[in-house]
Amino acid sequence: MSQRAEARRAATVLVAPAIILLLALNIFPIIYAAYISLHHWNLASPNPPRFAGLFNYEELLIDERFSNSLMVSGQFIFLAVGVELLLGFALAFVFNSKLPGLDTLRKISLLPVMAMPLVVGLTWFYMLNENFGVTNWILTVFGFDRQPFLTDQTLAILSVVLTDIWQWTPFVTLVIFAALQSLPEYVFEAARMDGLTERQIFFKMTLPLLRPAILVVLVIRAVDAFRMIELIFMMTKGGPAGATEVLPWYLYTTGFLSLNLGYAAAMAVVMIIVVTLVAQVLVRKIVNQGVME
Amino acid sequence: MTVSTAHSTVQINVPKKRRNSLGDYTRYLIASGFVGFCLFPFYIIISTSLKSDADIFAWPPVWLFEATPENYYNALFVFGGEGIFKYLINSLVVTGISTALAVGLGAMVCYGLTRFKVVAGNHLFFFILSTRFAPPVAFVVPLYLMVQRTGLIDTHLALILIYTSMNMSLVVWVMRGFFEAIPIEIEEAALIDGYTRLQIFRKVVLPLVKPGLITTSILSAIMAWNEFLIATVMTQNSAATLPVYLAGFSGSMGLEWGPYLAVGTMAVAPIMIFTLVLQRHLVRGLTFGAVR
Repeated sequence: MSQRAEARRAATVLVAPAIILLLALNIFPIIYAAYISLHHWNLASPNPPRFAGLFNYEELLIDERFSNSLMVSGQFIFLAVGVELLLGFALAFVFNSKLPGLDTLRKISLLPVMAMPLVVGLTWFYMLNENFGVTNWILTVFGFDRQPFLTDQTLAILSVVLTDIWQWTPFVTLVIFAALQSLPEYVFEAARMDGLTERQIFFKMTLPLLRPAILVVLVIRAVDAFRMIELIFMMTKGGPAGATEVLPWYLYTTGFLSLNLGYAAAMAVVMIIVVTLVAQVLVRKIVNQGVME
Repeated sequence: MTVSTAHSTVQINVPKKRRNSLGDYTRYLIASGFVGFCLFPFYIIISTSLKSDADIFAWPPVWLFEATPENYYNALFVFGGEGIFKYLINSLVVTGISTALAVGLGAMVCYGLTRFKVVAGNHLFFFILSTRFAPPVAFVVPLYLMVQRTGLIDTHLALILIYTSMNMSLVVWVMRGFFEAIPIEIEEAALIDGYTRLQIFRKVVLPLVKPGLITTSILSAIMAWNEFLIATVMTQNSAATLPVYLAGFSGSMGLEWGPYLAVGTMAVAPIMIFTLVLQRHLVRGLTFGAVR
């Protein structure tokens, strides 16, 4: 066998299995979802699926639960990711010091990131319980009234947001901290010798240098927050009155409780389009520019 | 501060004037407060899982209590009719096999696309990387029908294949940097020594990227272990994993907090230990291989 033929064979052996698997379980499902979405496809109905054209998509346009779920998802992403970013950013600076023990504290703070989201939801559901939850106990200790955290419309979404902040702020801290550590110290020394104030250094050097990392962590968090479903399952089931019904929860219940797969697939297609657009831009940005190398 | 000259390293003491920087005490205070906030829910779930029913529903909450293993006994042997073991084993099987496959296939395709000229190789590469962002909930409807029609509902195989495909992009994200860091001369030398390309991959390259394989194994395993949505749709009973078992309590929650939180503790404990012990490996994976 010639060198080139051997190389080609090796490349095929290496690349083919993964590509086949992704074709079957990533590309095909997208096409299949589009196909399902063009049908009246209800597992609860005795009739076989029949072609519906764009019916499901037209429904989406006038469905108030769908627009509500988009809005709730938007609220959730905006609030959770916004606070995570601000808090995580500030904490990265707190941890960015050579003080003894700080490194250990930073490592411990990573624990929530790895915890099973379902258990995180369960734990906070328990802690936020109106009658015997520890959060309300803390409130009463400070002289406040008990709050119906999970049954009040506004408090419910804020409770889910708080839980997400608890789980993911350490991740933001980690990424920004790593980016901070990779900044060359001599540039800052030089700036100080040139007499720049710390404020000038922060706004004119540190912040611009951290921009790629901030952007990347922002998009990663936003995309991941968009798919979050476990906390809703454990804490609110989309209630009260749809106040926490994010798009993934509406999709899931439509598909697997109402068994209306056609309609759920239409939502899935919308979701895939949104995420694909974001991912295309993000992936190229990370790969081409590097984040903090 | 340290200044290096051509011949020697000289220590120069420069008085540090960092006017705007935080005081050391403030740093410790904020950092400890944050760590306390991170740890508090873990304390709550673990301590509650050790409480008796009376203490669980007590108001105000009981901070000093007599620990009892009762909830663990219930969770392990009694609850849900048969206890936790079946689900634990299912979780281990699915996590173990899907992790091995994802890391194996992911490393192969990543190496193949980094080192060989493949048709549309660059596009394939970006495609694989972008599947990291695919929201599982958007794929669960078509996947459910595919699994149902192939008769794989409630089997390990369905979960294993889906988790493998979900975790492969993570492996490629992280391994990319490792493969690129290998000097091409090493592989060229092996080629001259008469190794075939695949032998080079197995015997020369893989040993060099072992840290990367460890990192991606840990992260893939954690993802598979924690995954809920796909598992709850694809399995009902015989292949159901721990998250499915846990979610099944959801209805009876008002009464059974003790065993419920005991199951929760057992589901997160192994991952928590992993996270602390193998911290160094996790960081690179979590940051998409961007942090060395």
